[in-house]
Amino acid sequence: MEKIIEVRGISKVYEKRKTKEKIHAVRDVSFYVNRGEVLGLLGPNGAGKTSTIKMLCGLLESDGGSISINGLDICKKRLKALEHISAVLEGNRNLYWRLTVRENLEYFAGNRGYSRKQIADQTDKLLEQFNLKEKENELVNGLSRGMQQKLAIAVALLANTDVILLDEPTLGLDVEVSYELRNILKTIVREEKRTIIISSHDMPVVQELCDRAIIINKGEVVIDDRVENLLKLFETRAYSIKLGEQLSPEQENKLLSIFPLSTYKASSHETIVEVNLEHGQDIYELFDLLKEEGTMVESIDRITIDFEQVFIQIVKGGKTHEMAPFI
Amino acid sequence: MKWLHLFNANFRKEYIELKRYLPNTIALVVTFYIIFLAAFFGIMFIGDPASFDTNVQYSIVSVVFWSLTMMTMNFIGYSVITEATRGTLEQLYMSPMGVWKIMLTRIVSQLGLQSVIMILLLFGAMLTSGQWLSLNPMTTIPIIIVTMISMVGVSFMIAGLAIIVKQIQAFLQIFQFVLMGLVFVPITVAPFLAFAPFVKGVNMVRTVMLENLTLTDLSLSDYGVLILNSLVYLILGLVVFDRCEKIAMKKGLLGQY
Repeated sequence: MEKIIEVRGISKVYEKRKTKEKIHAVRDVSFYVNRGEVLGLLGPNGAGKTSTIKMLCGLLESDGGSISINGLDICKKRLKALEHISAVLEGNRNLYWRLTVRENLEYFAGNRGYSRKQIADQTDKLLEQFNLKEKENELVNGLSRGMQQKLAIAVALLANTDVILLDEPTLGLDVEVSYELRNILKTIVREEKRTIIISSHDMPVVQELCDRAIIINKGEVVIDDRVENLLKLFETRAYSIKLGEQLSPEQENKLLSIFPLSTYKASSHETIVEVNLEHGQDIYELFDLLKEEGTMVESIDRITIDFEQVFIQIVKGGKTHEMAPFI
Repeated sequence: MKWLHLFNANFRKEYIELKRYLPNTIALVVTFYIIFLAAFFGIMFIGDPASFDTNVQYSIVSVVFWSLTMMTMNFIGYSVITEATRGTLEQLYMSPMGVWKIMLTRIVSQLGLQSVIMILLLFGAMLTSGQWLSLNPMTTIPIIIVTMISMVGVSFMIAGLAIIVKQIQAFLQIFQFVLMGLVFVPITVAPFLAFAPFVKGVNMVRTVMLENLTLTDLSLSDYGVLILNSLVYLILGLVVFDRCEKIAMKKGLLGQY
């Protein structure tokens, strides 16, 4: 597969103005993005995600390493490289609120050197696709946040670049608009086959749209793998066991000593044990424990882990995983 | 061709915003008109009656130029501050055309639009005072255009500073009085001001208007100084802007406000 973005050993150090204390926001980060791939760039607040994104866009100069977009070094040939990348960085704040929806689309396209005539058809298509056609002549400050967010993404798409970077595309949106936006993005991913980098805290978006995820924590890449692999890795040995009766105090103590990460929830109407097994055969130990006092097992379900849980476990250091090598 | 599309987009945006922020535009024109009235009545009541006509004519040209100078020189700086506050500055920096080109097309558009406002202000001032200047557009327009190049250069310097020093608004407010001094002081009183931006040009236009001169009445050395001055300030402005952009990108200041 052709690599459209190659990031090699980039770092960024900030210096606090008053104390002169150095803060390593990004440390020796390397990764690549294949053409047509949808990559999730994730990390907790302050992990170095935004600095990485800004370096990718050429808005921030790295202190070391290199970034190439479509073979062009973003530091050395910034403007040429920007012909291949567009971004939504601050969502609805990326727009001119006293211009209409259509005027915004036309203005940003004009800033990339396109005439209104050149983009007329595509503008109409995007307005339809994002359900903004009826609002095309309304001022942006009169639109809902969801519509503004959709417009910001449409502006990025209109740039006709190979790579689109979406920073928090669903931030602050209600469930309905977030769902709508996710569906629009899914269609774009399927139909346009553009390379998209999504930075988000909205894990369902990442799980649904991304082929691969990179998790950054404390300025370093901690995971770089396909989303499906990560889900598999965390999913396989987690079980939820519904019991017919409550455990005795001795059983409960034993459970927690054998499986320290397990949870035991007992209420008047149901008793559930959730265990995350290191090895498959560990389940026999659990059965032995239940058998001791003849505890009835009503059902055993494998816990379907979602990407949010994967993310939390990785960031908390609950699981290590070998990263895909950088070639 | 890309330059043309860029210019079209920015001219259209400036025009639309001028219309949508019409109360601001009207307030600006009214403010300058009131300043002119203050100068006019000041001359009428406390000035020397013998030189009344000359003083009024001098004031008309000076006030009009001061307003034009202020609008031009502060324009890109304010533009950068506004974009940073809105959150659109980084989006402009994502343009493969380069921000200096965007700003240049914006300022040229603004100058076109402001010139219309300035002509209205000029005629308003002349009508109020009853003093009719020799506008002589064939002579004044070329000089004004070259003079504006130096103003654009300074505007880029201010914009560069605005990118890295965010609290530049206070400076800009004081700066308008510095500009006032530069516009109003005749170059004969302080010849070294010929090296300052736009002063030479303003003086030449004022002389043409007050003394009803033509292009050929001015010396070649005047033109030489004017053109050199404008080119030096334009180049200096673009260099300063470029340096400031690099500092901002190094320190991560572009998106901060």
